[in-house]
Amino acid sequence: MKFESLIICVLAGFVVVNGYTQEKAIDTTLVNELQEVVLTATRTERQLSSLPLPVTIVSQETIKQSGTIRLNEILNEQTGIITVADESGFEGIQIQGIASDYILILIDGVPLVGRKAGNFDVNRLTVGNIKQVEVVKGPSSSLYGSEALGGVINIITEKPKSDVLSGNASYRIASYTQQDINVDIKQRIKKLGYGVFANRFSSEGYDLTPDTAGQTVNPFENYTFNGRLYYDFSDQFSLFLSGRLYTQYQDAGFTTNITSFEGDSEEQEWNSHLRLDHKWSDDLTTQYEFYYTNYNAKEQLADSSSGDIVSDSDFDQRLLRPEIRTTYAFKDRSKLTLGVGFQYDQLDRTFFDKQVDFNSQYVYAQYDTHLIERLNVITGARFDNHSEYSNQFSPKLALRYKITETLAAKASIGYGFKAPDFRQLYFDFTNSTVGYTILGYNVALEKLNELQAQGQILDVVVPESSLKVPLEAESSIGYNAGLTYKENRWNAELNFFRNDFKNLIDTRVIARKTNGQNVFSYFNFDKIYTTGLECNTNYRITDNIRLSAGYQLLYAFDKEKEKQIKNGEVFARDPETNQAVVVSRSEYFGLVNRSRHNANFKVFYDIVSAKANINLRLLYRSKYALFDTNGNDLIDDYDTSFVNGFAIANIAASKTFYENFTLQIGANNLFDYTKDNIPTLPGIQLYAKLNYQF
Amino acid sequence: MKKLSILFLVLSTVLISCSSDDDAPVPVPVKSEKISNLEAPQTGGQGQPVGGVFTKFDFETGKTTTSDTAWDIAFRGTTIAVNGGAVTGTADEPARNGNVGAAIVTGTFAGVTNAKDVTFGQDADGVFAIPTGSDNGWYNYAGPPTHIISPIPGKILVFRTRNGHYAKVEILSYYKDEDTSKDSKHYTFNYVYNPNKGDTSFE
Repeated sequence: MKFESLIICVLAGFVVVNGYTQEKAIDTTLVNELQEVVLTATRTERQLSSLPLPVTIVSQETIKQSGTIRLNEILNEQTGIITVADESGFEGIQIQGIASDYILILIDGVPLVGRKAGNFDVNRLTVGNIKQVEVVKGPSSSLYGSEALGGVINIITEKPKSDVLSGNASYRIASYTQQDINVDIKQRIKKLGYGVFANRFSSEGYDLTPDTAGQTVNPFENYTFNGRLYYDFSDQFSLFLSGRLYTQYQDAGFTTNITSFEGDSEEQEWNSHLRLDHKWSDDLTTQYEFYYTNYNAKEQLADSSSGDIVSDSDFDQRLLRPEIRTTYAFKDRSKLTLGVGFQYDQLDRTFFDKQVDFNSQYVYAQYDTHLIERLNVITGARFDNHSEYSNQFSPKLALRYKITETLAAKASIGYGFKAPDFRQLYFDFTNSTVGYTILGYNVALEKLNELQAQGQILDVVVPESSLKVPLEAESSIGYNAGLTYKENRWNAELNFFRNDFKNLIDTRVIARKTNGQNVFSYFNFDKIYTTGLECNTNYRITDNIRLSAGYQLLYAFDKEKEKQIKNGEVFARDPETNQAVVVSRSEYFGLVNRSRHNANFKVFYDIVSAKANINLRLLYRSKYALFDTNGNDLIDDYDTSFVNGFAIANIAASKTFYENFTLQIGANNLFDYTKDNIPTLPGIQLYAKLNYQF
Repeated sequence: MKKLSILFLVLSTVLISCSSDDDAPVPVPVKSEKISNLEAPQTGGQGQPVGGVFTKFDFETGKTTTSDTAWDIAFRGTTIAVNGGAVTGTADEPARNGNVGAAIVTGTFAGVTNAKDVTFGQDADGVFAIPTGSDNGWYNYAGPPTHIISPIPGKILVFRTRNGHYAKVEILSYYKDEDTSKDSKHYTFNYVYNPNKGDTSFE
């Protein structure tokens, strides 16, 4: 505790001192703001401000100044993006109210695999060697295919530019014995460039419920290594080669009120990315890309007293993807992009009979043009031919109209899809304590027959024919429309969004077992929508003080449930009498884990004379519900799993000294807000980081 | 004094009954009751074979009973048996010797006003009239982490008793004192019983 108060005092002192020293700050010439360039939205370099799509960029500078070390931390501070743990307990990103299952995560344009119950835990990714993070909101399946319904997050690593060896080494220590060590080196020697990066991150974890046995988050340590090589064979050919390894060990032990279990979980991820850029002429370029990734997770648990192994799970996923892209630039600035690729997915895991694989072939095209001077149009489509589900055609259209030099209107519409995943098709799992069974759709009939032969089935409640029609891909149509305003000192943007989902895959009962439990399988039925608006504004009060504010309003509902409520078919229990009452439309709260309001407010202050900066970021999230508690399969005002709205303040201050050293101190969750039902939020976390750049 | 008034009551009832012999009978009002903490123990479960004696309930007396014949419905764990149809084949279940029928109707308790359009089912080999399992019959099992059994709101159980009377039941809780942090297998339910034989009304 003393250590914590000390840091707060130092921090406060820092603010005061810097406040005084700032007075004489040299009036540097107006920093010529570099135009931010986005790659993800079109797969070509485009200025952020001229894009017809809703895109968020997080720069390396913001990441560094904010003192964040994992991707989830920095994404959480962006408007309309939050990390949530769903019913499975695993964490993922939510964008425009769309769950992690439907958000594609890329590194340098290639996809990452390894999801837990559909969630991609971006905590896995360190931000130590990131040039910028690009988030494209709304469907982008027209370029990226499956999973890109709700958005695409692309992590762009930094290219070496200088022939002087440069880099940095840093050490950061924080509450909960959290330690983060980074080493990053890069150099460009004529035709050859390279980058080497290593990160170690560890923590003792934390415990939000000290009265119960076991910790909320167990101790862990992880390592990330990344080596990148750039080579220009000639003016025409250049090569990019990247290898990345991530590995984590975490204590998986836990204690229930009766027994305690001990064990470890281990994660390992390998990515290899090879790209050859071929510049035929100034107008025509082709990229040949080869990508392979392997994600492996293992967990073993044993009863502490008896030593019996109670759970031993293994998850081994591989993805191989060669792709060729060509872009032709016409005389009038228009660009045509064509791509063709092949994807091979493979998964071997516990609760699968055997290793399963998918393969798909795809082509896509995109045309980016100015119909008239003021009107930019991007139109594109992708066709995916898949071995396990029906072919997908994903078109997209986006428009931007420049009303004045400072004001523009933009609108886009696109189709997104997510292929049924391996789990939804091949799972074969029986809960050993309760006795229910979950079967993947493709194996359901066969497994059901096996269970029937064993006399475990009481009756089958769905017609057999309904298990023979292939499962459809989940899909959505996303609409975005808004205005952007940009002048020297401030900019603002407003975006209305709506995403209409259909064929969402959920479980349903297909048979009853003689033990009174059910057999579940996956099925297309849910139709949901998320709609709302987002606004962001940035204002540069002086050259050194930046303010930004963001807000997202969100409505997320299930259309079928709305219909049932309208028909008076949905009931809840009055908490006083426990008697059933009819749920009215106004009592229907919406989908789980969705907050109606999200807001953030940030101040960044550069103290040029002192080579220092300080910032404060406030984040607010209104109330949301975790799960249905009254058996009507939806969230209504009578449910008791609501998490109240809360605000978090993060503060960080950095100062550079002796040219090469930067000391940063800060506090996350300054108000020390914790709740048992927000397991991903530890209490106040203080940190100090020393960085040496060379 | 008390005895006197009881005598008076009995007499007047008899008198009323006699006097109304020739007119249409005046129906006795329906009986609304709440049963709290009806224990329905079960052995086994969680993957093991289930067993244990069912707790039997008789609508006419409004009490639990150990009688082999004078019962309408019976509880064991989340399973509800009716005294009608045939044995289902589960261990330790009572013999069926009545003609009880059961149905699940969707609505609020007050909203279910009559049983005349209800189609009743009975227990049979391998099947309970009130289906077992989460979301099949009267309850929903939340699964991890809470494992709570919640009566599905809006599921009203309607019965034709062994004597040809009609009753409706709304299960309020599966936990002792309607507190999900206490022991399970304790039923609390409201019921309305029409004492007039053959009358399907619940009002």
